Parts: sequence; structure tokens; C-alpha cells
Amino acid sequence: MNSTLNLRANASVYDDDIVRKFVAATVLWGVVGMLLGVIIALQLAWWPANLGLPWTTFGRLRPLHTNAVIFAFGGNICFAGIYYSMQRLLKTRMYSDAMSAFHFWGWQLIIVAAAVTLPLGFTQSKEYAELIWPIDVAIAVVWVVFAINFFGTLAIRKVRHLYVAIWFYMSFVITIAVLHIVNSLAVPVSLTRSYPIYAGLTDALVQWWYGHNAVGFFLTTPFLGLMYYFLPRAAERPVYSYRLSIVHFWSLVFLYIWTGPHHLLYSALPDWAQTLGMVFSIMLLAPSWGGMLNGLLTLRGAWDRVRTDPVLKFMVVAVSFYGMSTFEGPMLAIRAVNGLAHYTNWIIGHVHSGALGWNGMITFGILYWLVPRLWNRELARPGWATTHFWLATIGIVLYTLSMWVAGLTEGLMWRAVNDQGLLATPAFMDIVHRLAPYYWLRVTGGALYLTGALMMVWNLLETVRGARPQVQAIPAPAAS
Amino acid sequence: MNQVLQSAAEHVRLGWVLGVMTVFFFAWFVGWTVWTFLPRNRARYEEAARMPLTDGGDS
Repeated sequence: MNSTLNLRANASVYDDDIVRKFVAATVLWGVVGMLLGVIIALQLAWWPANLGLPWTTFGRLRPLHTNAVIFAFGGNICFAGIYYSMQRLLKTRMYSDAMSAFHFWGWQLIIVAAAVTLPLGFTQSKEYAELIWPIDVAIAVVWVVFAINFFGTLAIRKVRHLYVAIWFYMSFVITIAVLHIVNSLAVPVSLTRSYPIYAGLTDALVQWWYGHNAVGFFLTTPFLGLMYYFLPRAAERPVYSYRLSIVHFWSLVFLYIWTGPHHLLYSALPDWAQTLGMVFSIMLLAPSWGGMLNGLLTLRGAWDRVRTDPVLKFMVVAVSFYGMSTFEGPMLAIRAVNGLAHYTNWIIGHVHSGALGWNGMITFGILYWLVPRLWNRELARPGWATTHFWLATIGIVLYTLSMWVAGLTEGLMWRAVNDQGLLATPAFMDIVHRLAPYYWLRVTGGALYLTGALMMVWNLLETVRGARPQVQAIPAPAAS
Repeated sequence: MNQVLQSAAEHVRLGWVLGVMTVFFFAWFVGWTVWTFLPRNRARYEEAARMPLTDGGDS
């Protein structure tokens, strides 16, 4: 470990120490977040699992689960992948070692603060932005430091062309700052309590502008950047069409930012704004599928390796789930479909087909590729990685299928009326009872996914045990 | 449409602004796409596509 607080301890080698730290944090928080997910899934199927304690009820653990998997597991792998790939693409060490370290420790401290405050019931009650205002301020500070370090590195780069992955990272750095700061604007009244500066409908619109773009710019664009870097590296082939990737980037970021109102269909939001959100969501299918095809076609001529290489297996299934969930998303944004699906478990199934299928699987693929390189060791148990792949895939299928059926069941039962025009199932509880088998199926799917992740942890720990990481010199940029 | 909205619409002429913006961004997008696919940019982008493969020699 050679981390120091000097500005660029040794500018002639890559800073992989920071990458190793973010990788370790990804694995740690991934397990915590997924375990919480299985626990709250169990609570829905079997209520005694909430233990009768306020700190462990669904309402407090659910935001802890979402924050942990999105911002801790997802965030840390994005930072790991960005620090690893941008130094190599730009042939330079990060701009400032101190800022990298501040970013890492600040982000982990924020995660710990979230893990303490959310179970205690301190919340701003905005979905995916639950954290109370002092933590929001800390996020803004850490993010701005990250942004300075990121753009500082761009400024000192040795390679002129910015590879497409860097553009996707840029949209992540800039947009998340804007979304987080605007949505979190609030007037504090005590250390733990604040009131948003927005009211009523404006509050709802700002919240879902933030909420959906958290999906777009936290769970999509940085991961696409990782795909454009790590998939070609793992496949040892250049991306299928670099020009398509440019069109993919610009059309995706232009369209994504407008899609938030599809969370407010049939609400008090003006009709034209609802339609705007719907239309932009439907158009988003085009760049999403362009990107998916670009990823899959990158494997042309390498498909035989998918049979044996667990890294490529994870990445292929990840890109396929990206395609599936970005088909389902535009469909769910259509008013009539949304009228049936909104507030049902279908939405939960949709989110998890993206989160478990796309974000989770590509993260596992990157970890299995990156850890042996970062620690200079062969993967201890390649067979376990393949088992992990199958457990995760079967787990996702059980999760999404059960939630589709549950969602359609409750959506149809909520709106069913009898001959007199009265609700066919007036007691809500009767509908909830119908969902119990699907909730158990989801617990099973989630448990399989978690089991696979635990196998990965064991595998990676065995891989790095006693390893002596080597520093890697930065090669001279090719003359252009 | 109620009177307040009616008078607001007449004064602000927001529709014009939105219309011009839509045409502008659409033209920008089409222009950008065409430029990206111009034959003379082909070699440059094919070279760029190889960047991840030639960046560290650690594989």
C-alpha cells in the first residue's frame, strides 16, 4: 500500500491503489445491499421477519437497501472502473492522489452515515434521495472534489482524443451533481430535519426528474462507459461501431433528461408534460437498443469464448438485460400500460431486471476481469465463477417472472368491477393474499443471486490472499 | 383553458420558443449524426475504437 497524500506520489505509474480500494468497497457493500434486499423480500412474504422492532421494519430497511445497492455497490464499481480506465485511456495518473483519497473515504463515510440514519428513521422521504440534509451536503462536497479530480485529469491528459467511455463518464459526473443539488435544496430546521424548497406538484416533478435521471445517469451512462471499455478489453476486440457509439451517447443523454414525467402519468401534472415524458421515454428505445447491439456485436468472432470465459458470460447477459429492461421501460411509459402497471410489483420486477441483470451482472464481469489484474494473480476458482453466473441468471429469471405475474394479478384485480360497477375485490387484503406465492418465489430468486455473490466474495478473497500488487508504469502515448 | 393561462400564453409566446428549440436540437442531432458517419472520419474513428486495446499492456 503506497497511498500518500502528496499530489501525485509518482506521476510515472498508474494509481491502482485507489482502484483496489473502490473494488474492495464494491464487494463489501454489494453483499450488504443484496442481503438487505433478501431480508425485506422475506418481510413481504413472511411478516414476522420484521422482528417487531422499529429499526428493522420494511419502511426503514427498504431505503437502506436501495441506497446501498445503487450508491454503495453501483457507485463504488463505477468509481473503480472510471479510475482504472480513464488513467489508461488518457495515459496519465489521476490529477490528485489526495482528491482520490478524499473521494474514496468521503464516499464510504457517507455510506456509513446512511446505514446509521436510515434505520433510526431519519429521512427526507424522497425516493432515492432519502438522506437527511447534512449527508446531502457531504455528498455534494465529495462529488465536487471528484469532479475537480476528474476534469483535472482530463486537463493533464497525454492523449488528445477522448474515447467514448470518457464521454459517458463525463455525463455521470456533471449530471449527478446537478440532479443531487437541485433535488436536495431544502431549508434545514434542525440537524436532522429540513423542508424542501418545492411544494406540491413542483416537488413531485423535481423529485421524478431526479429519480428517473438517477436511473439514467447513475445506473446507465457510467455503466455504458464501463461497457465500452471493459467489454472490448475482455473480448480483445474493438467496439463493433465507434461511430454508432457516438450517436448512442448524444441521443441517449439528450432524451434521458426529459423522461421523468412518466412517473407522474394520470397525476395532477399538466397533460402535455405527461405526454412529453411518455414520448421521450418511447424514443429512448432507439439509442438504448443501438448501444445494446453495439455491445453484443463487439463479440463477433469471439462467441466461442463466451462458452468458456465467465467474464464474457456475465457481460453478454448484462448487455442482454440492458436490452430487455430498456424495451420494457418505454412500454411501461405508455399511458395505457402504465395505468395497469403503476404501483404494482411489475415495476419492482422491471427495476430489478435492470439492476440485477444489467448493473449487477456487468459489475460481476468487471470484478472477475479486474481483480486478477489488479492483484497480479490468477482467479482462484474459475469454476465457481461459472456457478455464480448460473445462480445469478436463474435468480434474476425467478425474480422478474414472479414480479410480472404478481404485478399483472394485482393490477387487474384492483381495476376489476362487477355487473353493478362495484369493485370486484373491495378488500385490499384479499389481493395481497393472492401475491404471497410470488413473494416467496422472489425470496428464492434473491437468495440465489445473493448466494452467487457470496461465492464471488470467497473466490476473490482467495485470489487476493497474500498477493503482492505491482505498480504499472504509464507507457508513452503513441505518436499520432 | 382558463383566463389566466390564456393571457399567459398570449404574452409569453412560449410555443414559439419551444418550437424553435425543438427544430434547433433536431437539426443539431441530424447534423451531428451525418458528420459522425462522413466517410472522411472513418479511419480516425476506427483508430479511436482501438484505444482500450492499446492502453496499458497489462493483459
